[in-house]
Amino acid sequence: MSEMETHTSRAVFVKPGPGGWGRGLLLRTDGTRTKVLSVTGGGIHPVAARIAELAGAEAVDGFTTTVPDDQVVAAVINCGGTARIGVYPRKGIPTVDVYPGAPGGPLAQFITEDLFVSAVGVDQVAPSTTDDAPVEEGAAAQRPAVPPREERPSSREVAATVAGGGKFGQTFNSVTGVFVKFGSGVGSFVNTMLAAGRQTVDLTLKTILPFMAYVSLLLGIVTYTGVAEWMGRVLSPIASNPIGLVAISFVVALPFLSPILGPGAAIAQVIGTLMGSQIAIGALPVQYALPTLFAINGQVGCDFVPVGLALGEAKPETVAVGTPAVLVSRMVTAPLAVVIAWAASFGL
Amino acid sequence: MHVLAVMAQQQPAQPEGETSGGVLGVFEWLGTHFIGLFNESGEQFVGLITGILPTLIVLLTFMYALTTFIGEQRVTRAVQWSARWWITRYTVMPIIAVLMLTNPMCYSFGRFLPERHKPAFYDSAVSFVHPVTTFFPYANAGELFVWLGIANGVTQLGESTVPLALRYFLVGILVIFIRGIVTEKITAFMIKRTGRTEVFADFDREFEAAKAGGR
Repeated sequence: MSEMETHTSRAVFVKPGPGGWGRGLLLRTDGTRTKVLSVTGGGIHPVAARIAELAGAEAVDGFTTTVPDDQVVAAVINCGGTARIGVYPRKGIPTVDVYPGAPGGPLAQFITEDLFVSAVGVDQVAPSTTDDAPVEEGAAAQRPAVPPREERPSSREVAATVAGGGKFGQTFNSVTGVFVKFGSGVGSFVNTMLAAGRQTVDLTLKTILPFMAYVSLLLGIVTYTGVAEWMGRVLSPIASNPIGLVAISFVVALPFLSPILGPGAAIAQVIGTLMGSQIAIGALPVQYALPTLFAINGQVGCDFVPVGLALGEAKPETVAVGTPAVLVSRMVTAPLAVVIAWAASFGL
Repeated sequence: MHVLAVMAQQQPAQPEGETSGGVLGVFEWLGTHFIGLFNESGEQFVGLITGILPTLIVLLTFMYALTTFIGEQRVTRAVQWSARWWITRYTVMPIIAVLMLTNPMCYSFGRFLPERHKPAFYDSAVSFVHPVTTFFPYANAGELFVWLGIANGVTQLGESTVPLALRYFLVGILVIFIRGIVTEKITAFMIKRTGRTEVFADFDREFEAAKAGGR
């Protein structure tokens, strides 16, 4: 890439892939925004490399370094689950998911069409044909449509505007002041409860029910075909003695495996469900349930270390020493956790 | 595809001529087992919906409302208080963080700690997001099945899951504490090994200065 080209800001259009979500993102470098962050569990994802190449930006491995948010053109992630999918849109950073993710998880409200596109492969990244820079600038800087609770007018303020100004308004206000106060108190209580209910139903529809559907299908197949019993025969000698469980926990905590096993806790959840089915048919003794819970989960969060640290406003140096520290620590603490859990499970 | 592959493997095991109509018998067999597979899956689904979901939905609603009422400011004060001592830093602090901010925003409380303690706090907090789902499923509702998968098996045996849940929760607290301490030590070792002692000493001074300025 020549000197001149790096100074030219070229727009890149990233469209959603088959089964993907979003209407596409127009990305472009500017004065400070010059880096494409690849947060895909180590290494630079080809999609990130392609975007960087076309936009004249620099691709950075977000798993080993952190970049200040205001230097990021776009973040490339591989997340179909809970966390990473919302973290970058929440900060207003355009996010390209290489998995077919859709808005979900606790940060779903921030995942908007202006900031998120998914199921993106290298083929979906192309130089932009329409070169309308201002629109892109606006889209990149745009915050989610719903402002946070603190910035929204309170119900009290809204109530105060109802009566309007003037003499009548003043009289009206003084007479009904007590009622307004009481009413807005009740109103804010009811609205909070209602919002909580809405949040719950959203989460149930977008995250919990889909997972239940998928788990049911898996369990149905495993039970009906007899694979469950076959697995029980293989697994129960390993999982029904403490040494086998310690071995499992050590394997999942290996630093080169744990970041791969982490995303969305998908693997731990599937194994947990399968182990549960083994307990149900009696292939696994109940007293091993507790150590099993820790054995299958030694990798928890290992895929998310740099992002989690960045959420805590950690500096790049901290990420550089912290990521390996957490991964190495797990090799000690994961087997230890199983031993403690085993000791704690007597009398269950 | 997987379903068909499994069936194809089982098919030869079926004795020939057991059903009357040769080719038709094969299709009959396929039909029975194809729909049988999904009937079984459907039963599992109904079990999850009627067993877990109703309680979960009202509990989630209650806890979301409660966290809104308590408010982020009060939580922030409690967290800043718990960040001071090493015992509370890897027990009280991550627990409050996970309960109040839920996964993944709980890790943002790392900002109240000096740089050298951030990795240990993250490790501690992230290790609590599954034990917490036993009694407070809202805190990590997207990853319930690590716990529910196992708990479901215990339920099917006709036993109560509460004793197991309680132990998972308590052992979880002990484990995040140990994990915090171990990771803190390893981080210190990594700082020394990579020759960043001076850099982190600077960070500590910056942190102290910012804290003094903030008061």
